[in-house]
Amino acid sequence: MKIKNLLIANRGEIAIRIANTAKKLGLKVFGIKTSKEPNAYYLEHVDEIIDFSESQEEIPEFLDIEKIISAAKDYKIDAIHPGYGFLSENAYFAQRCEQEKILFIGPSADAIYKMGNKTIAKQIATKHNIPLLQGSLGNVRDYREALQIAEKIGYPVILKAAAGGGGRGMRIVENPSQMEKMFKMASSEAEKAFKDPSLFLEKYVREPRHIEFQVFGDKHGNYVHLGERECSIQRKHQKLIEEAPSSALTEELRQKMGEAAVKIAAAVNYYTAGTVEFLLDADKNFYFMEMNTRIQVEHPVTEMITGYDLIELQILTALGEKLPFNQNDVKLNGWAIEFRINAEDVQGGFSPSLGKIAKVIFPKSKNIRIDSGITNGSIVTPYFDSMIAKLITYGENRENAIQNAINALKRTVISGIKTTIPFHLAVLHNKKFVNGELHTSFITKEMDKLYYNEPEDELVAAYVAVFDYAAELENDKSMIINFQKSREISPWVLNKRIKSL
Amino acid sequence: MDVKGKNFKRFLERQKAYEQQHSPEIAEKQHSKGKLTAWERIELLFDPGTFNEIDAFSTPSSSLSSFGKITQAFGDGVIIGHGKINGRLVFAYAQDFTVMGGSLGSVHAKKIQKIQDMALKMGAPLIGLIDSGGARIQEGVSSLAGYAGIFLRNVMASGVIPQISVIMGPSAGGAVYSPAITDFIFMTNKTSYMFVTGPNVVKEVLNEDVSFEDLGGASIHFKKSGVAHFVYDDEENTLRGVKKLLTYIPSNNLENPPVIEYNETKEHPIEELREIVPDDPNKPYDIKDVINLLVDKNSFFEVAEGYAQNIVIGFGRLRGKTIGIIANQPKILAGTLDINSSIKAARFIRFCDCFNIPILTLEDVPGFLPGIDQEHNGIIRHGAKLLYAYAEATVPKVTVILRKSYGGAYCVMNSKNLGGDFNYAWPTAEIAVMGPEGAVSILYRKELLESEDPAKLKKELAQKYREEIANPYVAEERGYIDEVIDPAVTRIKLINAFEALENKHINIPSRKHGNIPL
Amino acid sequence: MKIQLKKTKDEFIALSPKDVKYKIKNPFGEEVIINKKKQEIKIIEEDGVTFVIYNNKKFAVEIFEKNQNKYEIIVNGVSYQFSVESPISYERKKYLSKLQQQQKIEAVTAPMPGKILDLMVEENSEIKEGEPLLILEAMKMQNEINSHVSGKIKKIYVKQNDTVAKDDVLVEIEVS
Repeated sequence: MKIKNLLIANRGEIAIRIANTAKKLGLKVFGIKTSKEPNAYYLEHVDEIIDFSESQEEIPEFLDIEKIISAAKDYKIDAIHPGYGFLSENAYFAQRCEQEKILFIGPSADAIYKMGNKTIAKQIATKHNIPLLQGSLGNVRDYREALQIAEKIGYPVILKAAAGGGGRGMRIVENPSQMEKMFKMASSEAEKAFKDPSLFLEKYVREPRHIEFQVFGDKHGNYVHLGERECSIQRKHQKLIEEAPSSALTEELRQKMGEAAVKIAAAVNYYTAGTVEFLLDADKNFYFMEMNTRIQVEHPVTEMITGYDLIELQILTALGEKLPFNQNDVKLNGWAIEFRINAEDVQGGFSPSLGKIAKVIFPKSKNIRIDSGITNGSIVTPYFDSMIAKLITYGENRENAIQNAINALKRTVISGIKTTIPFHLAVLHNKKFVNGELHTSFITKEMDKLYYNEPEDELVAAYVAVFDYAAELENDKSMIINFQKSREISPWVLNKRIKSL
Repeated sequence: MDVKGKNFKRFLERQKAYEQQHSPEIAEKQHSKGKLTAWERIELLFDPGTFNEIDAFSTPSSSLSSFGKITQAFGDGVIIGHGKINGRLVFAYAQDFTVMGGSLGSVHAKKIQKIQDMALKMGAPLIGLIDSGGARIQEGVSSLAGYAGIFLRNVMASGVIPQISVIMGPSAGGAVYSPAITDFIFMTNKTSYMFVTGPNVVKEVLNEDVSFEDLGGASIHFKKSGVAHFVYDDEENTLRGVKKLLTYIPSNNLENPPVIEYNETKEHPIEELREIVPDDPNKPYDIKDVINLLVDKNSFFEVAEGYAQNIVIGFGRLRGKTIGIIANQPKILAGTLDINSSIKAARFIRFCDCFNIPILTLEDVPGFLPGIDQEHNGIIRHGAKLLYAYAEATVPKVTVILRKSYGGAYCVMNSKNLGGDFNYAWPTAEIAVMGPEGAVSILYRKELLESEDPAKLKKELAQKYREEIANPYVAEERGYIDEVIDPAVTRIKLINAFEALENKHINIPSRKHGNIPL
Repeated sequence: MKIQLKKTKDEFIALSPKDVKYKIKNPFGEEVIINKKKQEIKIIEEDGVTFVIYNNKKFAVEIFEKNQNKYEIIVNGVSYQFSVESPISYERKKYLSKLQQQQKIEAVTAPMPGKILDLMVEENSEIKEGEPLLILEAMKMQNEINSHVSGKIKKIYVKQNDTVAKDDVLVEIEVS
């Protein structure tokens, strides 16, 4: 199969990332313009823009399946890359692409559907003897059934939405008396977020580590894994810092978990990029959680330590080519850490920081990679995700990567809005983080201050305020006002003015 | 004269006695209340060394008192005089709270009246620094008569010289009417308050408990009543604000406003202006972003920022020359006009008209705010004030329609036929009798009832309406809009327009005065 | 008439909301006096970004927000609030803070009927005067409802997609 062009049904940094690789492969790149950010930076990186900004629809542009398909037909698009989020895990969209003979850069609609349903995914894992957290086999009918199951597996337990994730429709239940209330809350939240109130129940592991494996498949039945990523630094189930590899894994454990991940992928005949998520408990037991059937935000850290271009691999395997290497070829070198730079006010409880970015300065060095969706003058709107850029550092080992990260973040300037950079610096200076003692409640339990600053910073701020104010006072004094000019009134006007009074 | 002789010695003794009235110990009384003394305020306000006091030694005689003792202090609790502010002659009076609580007795009142008369004679602005407990009870009706004399002069000078009141302490009872008549009121947070009837009387008569701050503090008057046009956190900044205001206004109604040196020779298109107003008519934006791009850098000085925020008024400069700006604010109450905003803008327009300040109107208004509340409280009368003020004003008037301009609000916001000199519109402008959804519901009522998918049909018709009727080109072709312009060149257009209008003068039919709806 | 007034030119006090103060004299000079110590500190512009050079280190700074004499300054990504006082206005502030009232609760009400489109704050988050609390959709327009006080969000009475009537209480803020 051959394609000549590619439509990126996404925006921001990932659109730029995909565009760069697509162009490298000789493809013409199409992008979508929305009315919400008509001058966005990513539009400068595509070859041709499809304009959706006239659209008066209720459905957000990047979720409007029929509009995208119809535009793809109009422009004779050969392939669509959905990026992450939006329609990337929408089985119906993948199906529509298939129907219209447009290549969907992702797995089959069937694989998306199966892995998208937590219950089916767990059944598949069980069939292949992959460890799972104990819990309900399928959805829980009501809180009474939940109580029964919880009784058996022991508290604490967690109720989760069957149709989605990201922390919504989730409630931890510590003891039986909370069950009814938590069930109601989780169910109604799930209904609102995913239009499906169904919940399932599982054992809740305290302070687990979030370890995920990057897997790849091709249409010829070949599967590999490219090592793991640790994404334990999360706030309200949103990842903020990811690293590859993980300091928690031994070579042996890596092999075991990698094999499990590959088994899952094989079970649904998976091709292109996928990620299998596990929880690791304090005793190094791992449990399958879910599979994400798309390219992930944090894919750069895997690219840094393996040397592969994952977007390129996605496109090639989607086109039907064989994976150009096998598991033995995969070598993990060095350490990479990614920091999500969000437009958020850390001191203000991570509330969104909207507005115009005046100036962006990113440090340049061979150990630093920047995947950015913004440039000087970019506007951060409330309509899209708050992540504006990713800073990835590389080092020979974890210590180096951490040092390089501190230097890089300190040399980064994004003015006009507030960002999560001070948060990242706080984590990097945290003893437990440096020692690799991570878990998913790290932010709430191990950090006493969520932002990093040094004692002199406050003095500098005071000085700037005083300097500016004093300059204003000086300015007031030196204002030259021409009162003479205001008395030079043309006789025409003065005459009439006097007469009319 | 022998400087060691009796004559000079007596002179020096009196000087010393005066200085003792303003000694650091006395000053401490004011400082301990978080306030500055009358002299300190004068020092901060006027250019150094330019202030000359008049009637420093007027003293009330004891016979003035009908009841109780009066302190016979020099000056009787008020300092009056003249000086220069930024090099321009200004008259002022500063009440001294340390003398009988700054209360107003007949000598005190006469001094204020004297400086009012002078300011009017010389055609120079008058500033009142108010810090007074009110009428002096001991002097009875003479105090009240004193106030009446002050009010009369405020009214006589209204629209002839700029009058500014700076409330720096209490201003209570009838005393508040002098500031109310003046053009602008400044207040300082936490240490100044204004009310007609104080908390004590409120408690007695209505049995309601309320503090000074909650009844008539600076923030109440800034945000709720609209009485205070400017509020600052401390006295230094308040006085800085007064000086800043003065740089925009002329000394009297025959002069043009002062001109600031402006060095940039070339004007360039401002592309950012194209991006501020969203194409989607329902998305809000901040009109101040537009204003700040149109006027000279940092020259926008907003007036009454805390009140009726759905309309923004203030002064700005174009190439150093003052203009008055009135602009609907789309992000508050959708930019609709209501009672408070109509009154706020109307008074400002009339001030600009009194003092030869050209007016710029930036329009994005979907109409008047509907509702029982507005109707029953007289939006008819109050909206008419705005209309009247615009029509009556004879200064240059330029309007730019940025987006929405529907119905009566289109007429009111300085439309061409109401007397606008130059009326521009941006390509995003929508000018019509009513908005698309409303119009379509009426015009196509039958078709919508019979339709299978009324929501979809309505959307299509609304789109058609926007394209065919509500666009600004219809108005342009009929001459109601002079030109539809590229937002990027708005500033250039405005500079040229106001320049062309510099010598505008029209006469309105002569009469004693019109009957503006009140 | 010579009235001796306290001459305090060129002396400023930067005061933070938590009462930390920096006394700064001679801000434009080569040697600036901060809290009675002579310091070498200066401001430069490089590449469109403002930096402060102090103690041989370079600090990226930004005036994020400014209102009269109240500033929000960002240094290396972290924001600090200061009001710039003269020695006199500082005394005044001290006096006024002694008279401070009890913790007050301010209610934010709906200025008109409409639908809650979006909540921009959570309970217990800090809010500053003028910052947005929520978006209220009315008259087919999105209206920003801003806080008129600074403090902490005590309770939120509405959620996304709720319909509210005029004067309904939306949010309660504990004034600081």
